[in-house]
Amino acid sequence: MLPYPARVAIWIIVYLLFVLGPMFALLVGSLPPARDFWTEFSAAIGYAGLAMMSLQFGLTARFRYVTNPWGEDIIYHFHRQISLIAVGLVVTHPLILFAVRPELLALLNFIQAPWRARFAAISTYSLIAIVVMSLWRVKLNIRYETWQMTHIVLAVVAVTAGIAHMIGWGFYLVYPWKRTLWVGLTIFWLALLFYIRLIKPLFLLRRPYRIAEVREERGDTWTLVMQPEGHPGFSFTPGQFGWLTVWGSPFKITGHPFSFSSSAAVTDGSVDMTIRNLGDFTSEIHKVPVGKRVYLDGPYGAFTIGNPADMHVLIAGGVGITPMMSMLLTLADRGDKRPVILLYGSRDWESITFREELEALKDRLELTVVHVLSNPPAGWTGEQGYINAEVFKRHLPPPYDDHEYFICGPNVMMDSIEKALGEMHVPLSKYHSERYSFV
Amino acid sequence: MRRLFADRLALATGVIVILVSVLFAYLRVAQ
Repeated sequence: MLPYPARVAIWIIVYLLFVLGPMFALLVGSLPPARDFWTEFSAAIGYAGLAMMSLQFGLTARFRYVTNPWGEDIIYHFHRQISLIAVGLVVTHPLILFAVRPELLALLNFIQAPWRARFAAISTYSLIAIVVMSLWRVKLNIRYETWQMTHIVLAVVAVTAGIAHMIGWGFYLVYPWKRTLWVGLTIFWLALLFYIRLIKPLFLLRRPYRIAEVREERGDTWTLVMQPEGHPGFSFTPGQFGWLTVWGSPFKITGHPFSFSSSAAVTDGSVDMTIRNLGDFTSEIHKVPVGKRVYLDGPYGAFTIGNPADMHVLIAGGVGITPMMSMLLTLADRGDKRPVILLYGSRDWESITFREELEALKDRLELTVVHVLSNPPAGWTGEQGYINAEVFKRHLPPPYDDHEYFICGPNVMMDSIEKALGEMHVPLSKYHSERYSFV
Repeated sequence: MRRLFADRLALATGVIVILVSVLFAYLRVAQ
């Protein structure tokens, strides 16, 4: 496999090629007479904005070679941030035109405007609605499921209307091959949505799982043990996750991402997911009956063990222990004797998920477990408070950048730990993190 | 840090796209 910086560089170059390539293709061949600089600049950012919006479908289509080397959580974060820039470009496109050619303001009259202008308005308003609903979903009290469905519909409308506007205007699209290129690319990106929402669920429907056991763990947490039904299941790398659909068919819009918590070394295809009751969909997990048919889309994620390192440092907060448990069980099953340190933050002693299982793993691994409790019992002599740089320095041997770090937990914890690792000069390539509230 | 990196990458992408759009307009006007 290519080194991390090379994979990052290739990813960025490919992304920019998809955004800028179709735009420069418009300059090939004979062209209509040029307009003024600002009109041409406005057209260029309109094309680029539309290409970036189309690419958003590719970013979230769950393809491994897209999500590597970043990890799924970072791809979704990039998807959010880049959409603000793309929408900014799309909105600036007409604003510049209105400034240099005020007569175009008449096109804002939706009733009297030609269709090519109406399409532009539909596209722009849809994009603004997507941004408003995404940034303020919680404040606007929009249910996640409602938001997700609306998000998809508005995104399809925005991109389709955008391309219709472009063809309707047709300034640079006199050659059929240019029209074919832009329409073809747009259809390709939209097709990814249909693949993930229609084709993939069809495959999943033929590869169901059965709930073999629902096991209560410490900390209001439950483990679902799932057995493949009529197929061998899939193999995964410890630390990866899957999209679980418990209630309804895989065509249902909302699968939920959960890490696998079982060993990747099992051979019967069974997988465990350990899920904490966080008050939403997860509050129903303990009610799942044994024998129920569920659907599992996976494995996904680049949060995996495998790079050479002198020791592995696992840092978990709360239910962030689940991918770590999969890593530890897999290392134990493989007889790996490299040292592993687990720094594990929990609220109190009684709510430490997998407390006993971790103790048992010490017999099979070169494992040190450091519990950090925010609400320790009387007489507690271990670490208390939250995991920070001081805790690292007390328990990890220097040099810190020789170790490989895995971090999973609440966003606040992740932010503070990533900051601490930065201060300890641990390079980005040496740590992996996964935010379990990335969607 | 990873999210900060992603933030900066998104910002840098935006800057590159705007600069290339300026180049596009310049190439057209200069023809």
